[in-house]
Amino acid sequence: MNNTATAISDSMLWSDSNQLITDVSRVSKDELSKAANRIDQGYYPLDIMGNLGQAGAFAAHLDMYGGRFATSIHAMQEIASSCGSTGFLSWCQDVCGLYMEQSGNPALLARLPDHAQGKTFGGTALSNPMKSLAGIESMLLTAKQVPGGYHVSGTLPWVSHIQHGQYCGAIAAVNKADGTRSHEIMFLLDIDDSVSLRTCPEFSGMEGTSTWSVNLDNYFVGDDNIIADPAAPFISKIKGAFILLQAGMATGVIKRSIDEINAVETTLGHVNQFLQNGTDELESELSELSEKVVKLAETPYEGSKDFLLDVLDARCYGAELALKASQSALMHQGAKGYLMTAAPQRLIREAHFVAIVTPAMKHLRWEMNRLMSEDMPK
Amino acid sequence: MSNTESPWRQFICRVCGLIYDEELGDPDSGLAPGTRFEDIPDDWECPLCGVTKTDFELLVKQQITINNVQQPTGPQGEGIVVVGAGMAGWSAVKAIRALDSDIPITMISACTANVYHKPELSIAISRGLATKDLIRETAADAAGRLGIRLYSETFVVGISTSTHQIRTTRGTIKYTQLILAQGARPALPSALPAELCWRINDLAGWSGLREKLSEKPQKIAIVGAGMIGCELAEDFAQAGHQVTLMDIQAHPLSALLPEAASLLLRKKQQCLGIDYLGNTLVSAVTETGDGKKLIRTREGHEIEVDHVIAATGLVTDRRLPDNAGIVFENGIKVDKATLRTSAPDVYALGDCVSFEGVPCRFIEPILRQANAIAHDILGNREVTYEHRTPPIRLKIKSLPIELTGLPADQGDWKVIEENQDYLHMEQVVDGLVQSTLRVGSIRKAA
Repeated sequence: MNNTATAISDSMLWSDSNQLITDVSRVSKDELSKAANRIDQGYYPLDIMGNLGQAGAFAAHLDMYGGRFATSIHAMQEIASSCGSTGFLSWCQDVCGLYMEQSGNPALLARLPDHAQGKTFGGTALSNPMKSLAGIESMLLTAKQVPGGYHVSGTLPWVSHIQHGQYCGAIAAVNKADGTRSHEIMFLLDIDDSVSLRTCPEFSGMEGTSTWSVNLDNYFVGDDNIIADPAAPFISKIKGAFILLQAGMATGVIKRSIDEINAVETTLGHVNQFLQNGTDELESELSELSEKVVKLAETPYEGSKDFLLDVLDARCYGAELALKASQSALMHQGAKGYLMTAAPQRLIREAHFVAIVTPAMKHLRWEMNRLMSEDMPK
Repeated sequence: MSNTESPWRQFICRVCGLIYDEELGDPDSGLAPGTRFEDIPDDWECPLCGVTKTDFELLVKQQITINNVQQPTGPQGEGIVVVGAGMAGWSAVKAIRALDSDIPITMISACTANVYHKPELSIAISRGLATKDLIRETAADAAGRLGIRLYSETFVVGISTSTHQIRTTRGTIKYTQLILAQGARPALPSALPAELCWRINDLAGWSGLREKLSEKPQKIAIVGAGMIGCELAEDFAQAGHQVTLMDIQAHPLSALLPEAASLLLRKKQQCLGIDYLGNTLVSAVTETGDGKKLIRTREGHEIEVDHVIAATGLVTDRRLPDNAGIVFENGIKVDKATLRTSAPDVYALGDCVSFEGVPCRFIEPILRQANAIAHDILGNREVTYEHRTPPIRLKIKSLPIELTGLPADQGDWKVIEENQDYLHMEQVVDGLVQSTLRVGSIRKAA
């Protein structure tokens, strides 16, 4: 088989969005919902991620599979509604694929089909750089130019969806001789033996996301692993898409919360009528949020300030709604929802994760404030 | 041996933010209280993220300057939410309070929300006024007096009309009625970078420039010879600054005035020492090494000045109405009688609205608009707004200009009376007087 034939057959994969969602949904319901508590406590579900990849969950937003962002977000929602941790892993996998493809680097493009199909896995170590580029904290990785590439050193805390043999997108600052910043590079960090991974302190949930502290000591980055050099224009190009994709994590938690409220309607409806934030209100807000997201997903790489503001607003709205909906789910279920095995108490922790994962609600508001403030001469 | 004299220091982990306090040590990892940072063994690990001490740095307790720490003040509770604290926003609040002293009102303002009279910005430099002179009432005083809850330095980022909520940079707020008084913002052509060109559209923008101009007489270029550009040119010239007014039109205010009147205005500007560069399009503004600005024009001019002012017109920001699905036609489309927008329980007034596709950016209608909204919200449908284009008066001391009616593109202007300092003209369309123009002072003429 020649390369052209491969390209055609790849691009034909999962071309039917409805079928893709049906297939992802089936894996989510059949496999993921049963494993959700185990994943919450520490099981890293690469087997199920592989099946989701086969169903097309990590491909639709990529240009080579039709650039259907709304479909990828919808797939993530189906996944997150069964398991928030796996919803988050899906986002990691989705944006990592996006870096590889948008890099235009032939070496990374060659690796993309396996990634899109869930045969290989990779995450994103952009929490610190994103905050750094927004002026919130300093850059933790630094790169030194060496023959044929760069040597990168430093430590990143809390990078998810990685382990030895996997990879993640990363950014390092390149300094000038006088110590001031020259620019940044973005690269695909292959977690080989030279990279040391350290376990993180235990989180209150979402422990199955394979989250590590990554230590690099003169790690070599060559041309084949460069995503963007300089990184800044690349980051401004993908920033909206990066944040927008997270919407699926929020809508998944909201949708499941509504389901959990509905599940006790017949038995507890007579007392639940005294609770606020019922399904009518939540459903109407979810549908408003989803409409916004679908519309924004039509032009994920639009560069305007207004577009980015709309994305940040939708992301923040999603986090807020996830908090409200999950809280309401537990209130509606009462003690039953407070059991360690019950979905609502897990949903609450997942919703909190949606609200604090980078960009957290406070970062989103910081960024919106920055974008909306008027620039004036100094 | 550790020095026990010097004060205890703290070191922060650059990776996870954990703070090592010398006074407390880290007993769990065998560092006794009082262990100095330099005495920590190299193989010690951050108890939270596991990095070594090389990833720690001295924690310098800074005086953190947080802008926007102003906490909301005033009564709690849902109610009427007013977005914007310019003349339109405050007028709406006052009009509602005149009818109802108790109904909860919340105001959201992107700026500090101090009360001032915007038209004064056009004449304040030559009068030697400072920012404090222009503030008629502080935001806190006004909010206290009117009994409203005020979120200052807060941006509205989204509106959900179906659930009656607005999302702001300080959280989500529910409204029973929403009044949009967001104003209009300067339309900056791409050749005029925001970080190099001042805009005099609010007190904050004016204050920044005023501070610079107070140092000594300076060279100023004003791009755009419309109403604001001409008013500012006179104000700055009167204050002793060297002003160049630039416009794509041959004469100042040509979009509004017939040529005879434009020429009279130009003559007066000349007497004040204002240079005029007509038929000129700015192609770029850059900063020179010494902080001056270099303006290049399409026609090949290069002008170096201390400050560039953009007076290139206003536009209404449409992101918010679009985000909320509120109909927008060159401004937020409102009902002519009630100022209702296309969304239920959402009103708009002031510079952000349009009537039948025409923006309405005048001071005079604002009080009447506010009054109509207040009555409509409080259930009195008899008091409504009547839209008419108010006379335009330019705050130009050397040559007062008053224009009534809307001049038509076609239609001849006829001189009714003319002498050296006074010009009275009329524009007649289809036998009817469409507009009347008085330029200069009749008293002087007499």
